[in-house]
Amino acid sequence: MKVLSKSKLETALNKLNQSAEVFLPMQKDKESGFYSWKLFNQGQDELMLNALNVYLPPKNVVLPQTERMYSIKQEGQEIKIDKTFEDSSPRVIFGARPCDLKAILCMDDVFLTRGYEDSFYKCRREAITIVANACFQPGPACFCAAMEINPLEPAGADVIICDAGEAYSWEAKTPKGEALTAQITEYLEEKSLSLPAAKPFVQDVKYEGVAEKLKGMFNNHIWERLGESCHNCGICTYVCPSCYCFDIQVKMWGDEGYRFRCWDSCMYEEYSREAGGGNPRGSGIERFRNRFLHKLEFFKERYGTPLCTGCGRCIVACPAGINIVKIIDEIKEAELDA
Amino acid sequence: MKDISNKIREIAQTLFKEKKIDVFLGWEKGALDFQTVPFIARSEADARKLVFDEYSIHNLATLLLKFRDGSEKIGIAAKGCDSRSIVRLLEDKQFARERLHIIGVGCPGMKDPLQAIGMYSGLKKQQGDGNALAAKCYECVQPNPVIYDDLVGSQQPSRLTGERFARVNAMEQMNADERYRFFEDTLSKCIRCYACRQVCPACNCRTCIFDEMKPQWVGRENSPEDNMMYHLVKASHMAGRCVECGECERVCPVNIPLMLLNQKLIKDVNTFFGPYEAGMNYVEGAKPPLSSYSEKDPDDFI
Repeated sequence: MKVLSKSKLETALNKLNQSAEVFLPMQKDKESGFYSWKLFNQGQDELMLNALNVYLPPKNVVLPQTERMYSIKQEGQEIKIDKTFEDSSPRVIFGARPCDLKAILCMDDVFLTRGYEDSFYKCRREAITIVANACFQPGPACFCAAMEINPLEPAGADVIICDAGEAYSWEAKTPKGEALTAQITEYLEEKSLSLPAAKPFVQDVKYEGVAEKLKGMFNNHIWERLGESCHNCGICTYVCPSCYCFDIQVKMWGDEGYRFRCWDSCMYEEYSREAGGGNPRGSGIERFRNRFLHKLEFFKERYGTPLCTGCGRCIVACPAGINIVKIIDEIKEAELDA
Repeated sequence: MKDISNKIREIAQTLFKEKKIDVFLGWEKGALDFQTVPFIARSEADARKLVFDEYSIHNLATLLLKFRDGSEKIGIAAKGCDSRSIVRLLEDKQFARERLHIIGVGCPGMKDPLQAIGMYSGLKKQQGDGNALAAKCYECVQPNPVIYDDLVGSQQPSRLTGERFARVNAMEQMNADERYRFFEDTLSKCIRCYACRQVCPACNCRTCIFDEMKPQWVGRENSPEDNMMYHLVKASHMAGRCVECGECERVCPVNIPLMLLNQKLIKDVNTFFGPYEAGMNYVEGAKPPLSSYSEKDPDDFI
């Protein structure tokens, strides 16, 4: 098999960096997330490829939190679209864990299938190559396998690497992956490598049957109890690798301006507020319920897979200690209202 | 702490039995050892689940706001900082005092469950041995409740050992450019999740300025400009209202030192309109600084 020795990793990254912007898991000061290799400060920042995962997912690379779409100019009675900002510059996400990779595949479903292609997303996405880092040692808050993911052989990666101590095994899976491999072929060796044995998951999460059961639970009494301590902040949706909701807004100065989209959160009251002032999800509990139904039921119905990828970030970030694993358990145990 | 836990449970059960309360706001154990989570008990049976332990750090005063339009009688457990928040809510006339039964707790300092789970999960870097109190508790000047109907736990000393507002004083030493750069850098990290606003007991506006769309006062772009606008407007609204519970900074997913802004305003309100510490004692009808209006105000801009 092809092998990338860890001692050659940084040189290989420098090489890749010449033709694409490379995003990697890093610790920068107190934050950890996917940052550009160009911003890596030797001696201050820490590469986190060996860590289980980082706090902020690579979602921002695929769907930036704020994205300018087009600029507008008003000339007399005419409004002209001045410039469109579709971004097709090449990028590499290097070392995405299977949960974060699956989250990107979920976004692909949303933005590229079912009869509509989002050109801004498509342009950016087609220029992104993903190197997935297989997981052999799930962490205590992980439950990706329960959410239909294979952490050892994740689907949808362009390259899969496995950490075998001194080196990574390197396996190209797609033509994009082959092209990336060709760029760093001088740093890859051909040898055999013994991969670590996969460790069992700490958490036992049983998602089977949950989507089906939820069909009859829209008005169930459990939502009140589960959601009443929720603050309705957007932390879970913004640290989530797969939450993709956005809003489109405009900024104008006199005759000029631009339209942009930015992440939005179903936890915010304003998200579901209608033009006339009504709100179908006016209460915090309704918004709380919607998030979990979307993750566990609606998305599965529409795309055949849950929108939760078992990364555990929302559990780690929630100020009120709300735990999606516990919610799945409660749904399993709940009695259906007669 | 077990003792405090038992007493809160006993008192809450009695209050339910005697029909003196309809709900009790406290904590219950979550799925993991260090997960102690806010809990709304609605019956004597529920009250048996109440706990108070080293992770009961959440300021429950924000939960009170869920009941402000109702008529329920509410029991609540309150540490020093929580109790100051309750005073502020009473001053803002969010509740009649009669609706509340407050169990005050002398707070020995709390650990931060968010730090604990961050390290446990592997998503946050290991810091210390995990036995330290939450950072905010080392700056606490009021661990004992300032308003209560029952008092449990022992009187606790202030845990602030160093200089008060040390971080603010250091910031004041920077020149204007350095300060601008510092805030531009730190506020650029903001992901606009609004967790700092949602956990804030002083944020009790029914419609928040940041949620208004017509006009939209603050842009929704994740840019240094819009982020700064959000944070500076929010901090200004906290002047005279922040009780230093530190929840905003604790829950921030990107470690923005939010209390630096809030403490600067606490210090300034005290200097220019004080002496004043928000929520230190409840006097019915009292008007804290910046919440009253007088035609005789000496400043001519009014």
